[in-house]
Amino acid sequence: MAELTYREAVAEAIAQEMRRDDSVVFLGEDIAKAGGVFKSTVGLWEEFGDLRVRDTPISEQAILGAAMGAAMTGLKPIAEIMFSDFLAVCWDIVCNQIAKSRYMTGGQVDMPLVIRTANGGGARFGAQHSQSVENWAMMIPGIKVVAPSSPADVKGLLAAAIRDPDPVIFFEQKSLYATKGMVPDGEHVDEIGKAKVLRNGDDVTILALALMVPRALEAAERLQLEKGISATVVDIRSLVPLDTKTILSEVIKTGRVVTVEENPRLCGWGAEISSIIAEECFYDLDMPIVRITTPHIPLASADELEDLMIPSVSRIFDTISREVD
Amino acid sequence: MDVLMPQMGETVAEGTLTVWHKSVGDTVSSSDILFEIGTDKVEMEVPALADGVVKEICVEAGETVLVGTKLAVIEEEGIKESIEETYVENQIIDTKKSTDIIAQTNISKRDRIDRSMKLSPVVRKLLAENNLTHNDIKGTGRNGRLKRSDVLSYLEDNKSNKQYLPDTSSRVAEFNDKTIIPFNHRRKMTAEHMVRSKATSPHVLQAVEIDFSKVEKARYQLGPDWKKREGYSLTYLPFIARALCSAIKDFPKLNGHIEEEKLVVFDRVNLAVAIDLDFEGLVAPIIKDADLKGVTEIARAINELAIRARAEKLTADDYLNATYTVSNNGSFGTLITAPIINQPQVAILSTDGVSKRATVIEKDGEDLIAIRPIGILAQSFDHRAIDGSYSGAFMRRLKEILETRNWAEIVS
Amino acid sequence: MVKRAQTKKKASAKQARLNDDIGEETRLTMYRLQLEIRHLEQRAHDLFFQNLIKGTSHLALGQEAIASGFGAALRPNDYTFCTYRGHAHTLVRGTSMTGMLGELMGKECGMLQGKGGSMHLTDVEKGAMGSYAIIGAHLPIAAGAAWQAQYNKTGQVAVCFFGDGTTNIGAFHEALNFAAIWKLPVVFVCENNLYMEYTPISDVTAVEHPAADRASAYGLDSIIVDGNDADAVYRIAVTAFDKAREGGGPSLIEAKTYRHSGHSRADPASYRPKGELEAWLKKDPIPMYRQRLIDFGVKESIVKNIENSVIQAVDEATEAAKASPPPPVDYAFTDVWADGGSSWRN
Repeated sequence: MAELTYREAVAEAIAQEMRRDDSVVFLGEDIAKAGGVFKSTVGLWEEFGDLRVRDTPISEQAILGAAMGAAMTGLKPIAEIMFSDFLAVCWDIVCNQIAKSRYMTGGQVDMPLVIRTANGGGARFGAQHSQSVENWAMMIPGIKVVAPSSPADVKGLLAAAIRDPDPVIFFEQKSLYATKGMVPDGEHVDEIGKAKVLRNGDDVTILALALMVPRALEAAERLQLEKGISATVVDIRSLVPLDTKTILSEVIKTGRVVTVEENPRLCGWGAEISSIIAEECFYDLDMPIVRITTPHIPLASADELEDLMIPSVSRIFDTISREVD
Repeated sequence: MDVLMPQMGETVAEGTLTVWHKSVGDTVSSSDILFEIGTDKVEMEVPALADGVVKEICVEAGETVLVGTKLAVIEEEGIKESIEETYVENQIIDTKKSTDIIAQTNISKRDRIDRSMKLSPVVRKLLAENNLTHNDIKGTGRNGRLKRSDVLSYLEDNKSNKQYLPDTSSRVAEFNDKTIIPFNHRRKMTAEHMVRSKATSPHVLQAVEIDFSKVEKARYQLGPDWKKREGYSLTYLPFIARALCSAIKDFPKLNGHIEEEKLVVFDRVNLAVAIDLDFEGLVAPIIKDADLKGVTEIARAINELAIRARAEKLTADDYLNATYTVSNNGSFGTLITAPIINQPQVAILSTDGVSKRATVIEKDGEDLIAIRPIGILAQSFDHRAIDGSYSGAFMRRLKEILETRNWAEIVS
Repeated sequence: MVKRAQTKKKASAKQARLNDDIGEETRLTMYRLQLEIRHLEQRAHDLFFQNLIKGTSHLALGQEAIASGFGAALRPNDYTFCTYRGHAHTLVRGTSMTGMLGELMGKECGMLQGKGGSMHLTDVEKGAMGSYAIIGAHLPIAAGAAWQAQYNKTGQVAVCFFGDGTTNIGAFHEALNFAAIWKLPVVFVCENNLYMEYTPISDVTAVEHPAADRASAYGLDSIIVDGNDADAVYRIAVTAFDKAREGGGPSLIEAKTYRHSGHSRADPASYRPKGELEAWLKKDPIPMYRQRLIDFGVKESIVKNIENSVIQAVDEATEAAKASPPPPVDYAFTDVWADGGSSWRN
């Protein structure tokens, strides 16, 4: 076990997989010589060189298009889209081409690629560089969607994504890059499609993703200490495939569920999960399903405004205190 | 003015102060370079940004500190040290304000339902599965809400009875010349309820004799076709139930619940009908809005309830909000019964046997003896809320309806 | 381009022409390819009016020479990418006619199991890496395939066919720049048929030659070729392929042509000025090529043989496709993921 930062875990995962498999290649803007604008891919160009770690122009459509062409013909590319907001610039390649080619061609085309991107807010970058768009990806059939909350999960899930024969969008949360955590030594590969129960409690089940996970855990501590409310916290980790077995069994266990989502309210990932719970666990609910989300507005850049909008530990604590009797 | 460690890159959380260009006591102007900061990739010269004198240096050259850390203090010209710098800290704002503001954006246009009055899906399920009503268990949630944990605790406490499920027959232990029949779950529930009811309500019994001639006429005329069409007989009960509802219209206080020191009177009559399960126990599911139903509908509803009750297919909804109960012993030919009130209702009616008896009638001013179908209806009422005169007047009205209405023409 | 020898003696002239850089065998191949495309597209046109082909169909009638010229120059392991007007480019890679007609008719025997339709014809085994219905998307994708070839040093080339309208979309510019700076072995072929859907290309393009006039923006040569002359196309193709295989990077080729039918479906193309279609019909590539073969001394009987066998092949494929049942319902749920399934939860 070693203590790594979230950003170091990214580079380690990529290095682990590139050492193991020559067909893994990596492209993106400023990822090679500069080690990435978030310093998340430092050392890769030095180790693997120009042929395997390549800087590109500012051409999101070309980046993802090239990744797709390479994946179709035998390589395993990792493409970086610097800010997840920029997925909008190349969304055609994501949702019309990458997601659908295997299906439309009757299974002929392979698509073993990973799109890594820095998602979410908290860094005061303003509305066009702070969005949480994991729900955009969840909505398109044919893409796997992963969003880790800890360095260990970054390493394990990114390695799994790279080995996955299907296209995966890997959402890293930019405010988590500096956070630290223990990561297993040696080869570490996790499983996509498996949620993790990080805390066990009897009174309410909290479902969270990425940055919202550490906040939910902190709120759960306060709830226990100050209100005697014992909360289960589930880190969803993958939106597609979704670990409904784990989620539903944790909901049935407590009878109460709260989602904590960084995405804006409408059609957030919690809305879909709430609908599944309402349909399949209706007779196990002791409380209406509650969603804690960023409100349905663009994110402001000023410190206080951004902190107000993105669900905070306090807001999670207050909401659950109020709703759980 | 406080000099703070600036943020050099978007992702950088700390910085190293590499060189001080000024010392404590030096005069600086705003464009003078005050210090340098660096990382392995970037080095930057930082100007003083204020005119004045360096009053304090807080961080040594070579130290690495978090962004925002105070590095030095410059006492600006014209500004006295004694004036406190008000520095607005970068902190998460008042949490209550944040939660409220956000909540406003999501507030539904409908009034928030007072959840304490509703049974949640899991509570309903547990009650139905265990043949309980919400009245059986005390709620400890907000505003007295019956929570899942309340039901689960209740079941846990009564776990020793779990083995006695309603659909298993009572265990019989042979013991010399005695037979011991332990109370099954339903028996126990009934026992508790009866004791509690008697302990709670001062019961008063009032009875009237009813001449069922007109009812009998309807039964005679409609009976055969009814039997053929519906598959079961048309009994007295639907007529009594219908008359009851009409009488309640004139004496509504009998259709209510006592809650502490209040009588809650209901507009609709949810008539609970006591149904015996082949001597294995008693259930009293309701005919919802019975006052809006005619004799035919009531008869059908009673039959349907009986069928479902015997098939153990009743749900929590079948017991919800009963307002008046009728207990029918007529098939045994009994004379009179003093029924026990179904809490928290205020009254209960017992119907007993109807048989041909000699009775005195008036005809053309003369008293004659006639043979008529006579039966006794007896009401137990709770003397906390109801007095004898009110109940008596109600019984008189009930008798009037049953004896004078032309049932044969009303029922199809 | 190689100059044709001009001699007065008929026999030696014939001989000389037959033994030129292209050769009889390749020419016969190109003739056959053009015929196959022509007859298949015409059959698709007819089946559409018989309501056996649904949805939409974009025919390449009149543009056969481009696909054929390139098709003859390609190696089996090269990659091709084309647009929704891609029946021709898929056919020249050797794909099954039954599979193609079956796909257009939505049958089980369709090359995409009835799941893609006319606009997405793909035969990965033959190197036909897809027909793309979003304008411009496949240009960077073709560059990616070329990247694989460069990375693995396989000597493969990726060829990307698109129309004049594509040169105005963002992905075109990104792909060209990208391929140029990475020196990828990809050949971009713009089939300029003078119309961007229903609008003359000149109305919507800032330069006269939509592709060739932009080549210099990417440091590439401006190349224009008569797209109705299969030989000319072939020669350009070979040059571009050689350059790419040797590591010389991408090429951008503008091939001038004309489509005989409308943009799609039953578009009567009434936006064309009077006389334009007739003028281009006079330059129909197939009769021109037929005459050239005869001029070169190929026997009439051989030519007729090719013609008959192509018609027969198209007829047989039509019957086989018609006889095929619709795809089974469970095909709808297969092949979203590599494991063949479509599940998003457990």
